[in-house]
Amino acid sequence: MATVALELSGVSKRYGRRYALRDVDLSLAAGSALGLLGPNGAGKTSALRMLLGFTRPTAGTVRLQGLSPRDPASRVGLAYLPERLTLPSRMTVGSFLRHHAVLAGLNGAEIDRDVEAVLAQTGLTARVRDRIGSLSKGLTQRVGFAQAFLARPNLLILDEPTSGLDPIGVRDARDWILAARERGCSILVSSHLLSEVERTCDQVAIIDEGTLAAKGALDEIVEAGETLEDAFVRLVGK
Amino acid sequence: MRPATTRIFSELAREALRDAMRRRIVPVIAVFALLSLLAVDSCTSCAGSSQVAQNGKQVSVDDISGWAGMLIFSVLSLWTMVLAGLLASDHLAETVFDGSANLVLARPVRRSEFALARLAGALGIAYVTGAVVLTASTYLLYLRNGVSLGAAVWAGLACAAGAFVVAALAMALSLRLARVATAMSVLFLVGAITFVNVFTLFGASLGRVGHVLQYFTPPLCTAVVVALKPWIAPVAPAVDPTIMALKLGFWVVASALILLAAFRKQELGS
Repeated sequence: MATVALELSGVSKRYGRRYALRDVDLSLAAGSALGLLGPNGAGKTSALRMLLGFTRPTAGTVRLQGLSPRDPASRVGLAYLPERLTLPSRMTVGSFLRHHAVLAGLNGAEIDRDVEAVLAQTGLTARVRDRIGSLSKGLTQRVGFAQAFLARPNLLILDEPTSGLDPIGVRDARDWILAARERGCSILVSSHLLSEVERTCDQVAIIDEGTLAAKGALDEIVEAGETLEDAFVRLVGK
Repeated sequence: MRPATTRIFSELAREALRDAMRRRIVPVIAVFALLSLLAVDSCTSCAGSSQVAQNGKQVSVDDISGWAGMLIFSVLSLWTMVLAGLLASDHLAETVFDGSANLVLARPVRRSEFALARLAGALGIAYVTGAVVLTASTYLLYLRNGVSLGAAVWAGLACAAGAFVVAALAMALSLRLARVATAMSVLFLVGAITFVNVFTLFGASLGRVGHVLQYFTPPLCTAVVVALKPWIAPVAPAVDPTIMALKLGFWVVASALILLAAFRKQELGS
């Protein structure tokens, strides 16, 4: 396994004349949890899209588990939960999870075992035969988490993971993320919920207007007597 | 370790086919297929019992049955190709633009595997429909008019290749155009190519534009008609079947490459 889970080096991304990201350097050591923060439109989503190989950088290099994100091998052991989660509404929860279990590289009995485990973990066991389209937003988000935890990933990329969850769901999600972290999974979380980032991550990167405003351990970013929210407001100047 | 390409592709293709089968258009296709078969049954049931006159002169029904068969087979083949194009016109694009492709492509899945699997899903429905209507029609023509089955097999393969080309190009186009625009493009292109193919096959000249279309576009209709040569002999188009097969083969490969290149360049949202 690579010692650096993911890395952006001098990365810029331009859409027409507008820079979504400009000369950003960012890395996540294997086994660490990094919270990616920034105001709306700061460039967080562009960074995630490049890390996953969904778009190419205009300049700079991106490495995912030591490889180019365009190389499918870079996504072995990776799980992703997007902000706007669109799941196939006509599939049942069970068939959707089995489909992703195969794509994640599981075989035979492993598939049933893992699917049952993530269903139990995310409280969806009773919903296994329900069509995804019939689920509430919160339950759909739980299905998203369930697919992310299949095959015990070693790198989790989560974009606004608690979006649509009720307070109990938020607490559950935090527990799942912390459990993944405890077993050595590298985690990148993009979130607006600073308190959640504070509880789940040991490092923080703040992006503002496409540039990296700050990056470091939580205790380096947050000054004495400050909360992460205070530090965030101080650093983005708003 | 990344799962084997065959395992990933078969899983994705199975799901793409299931996804295609869940669409509301499928019952409509089934009804159209049934109506087509009823029409073919009606069109071929006059053998031996009707009289046909051409320019006031009596013509045996058997003399024109080959032409009628060729016409029926060609129309149904073109219908299958258009169907493939229409099904493909959002089968990949929908997953890209609603973001559902992202979860799959965040797995160790190649874009080429995903795109070709979606193509296979759309083609699966078109092929099954095409196989049913063409086989049933050929069987009726064989029973009632005695057409040769070998020619129908080759024409069926030409139809399958044409459907692949139309579907792959429609899928590539759908990444740039809205669904309705893609569907209209499919109808227009298949229609224009067929028009030029038919007129050129029997010696008509359609000017420079017609020549360019005939020479540089996939021989969708020409390939089917050329395969059915034995049905319309001795009046048959003077086109070498080998050249036609090579040209169609070229377009199968080219359309797949165009689709893969378009999807490789496609930026995905998150």
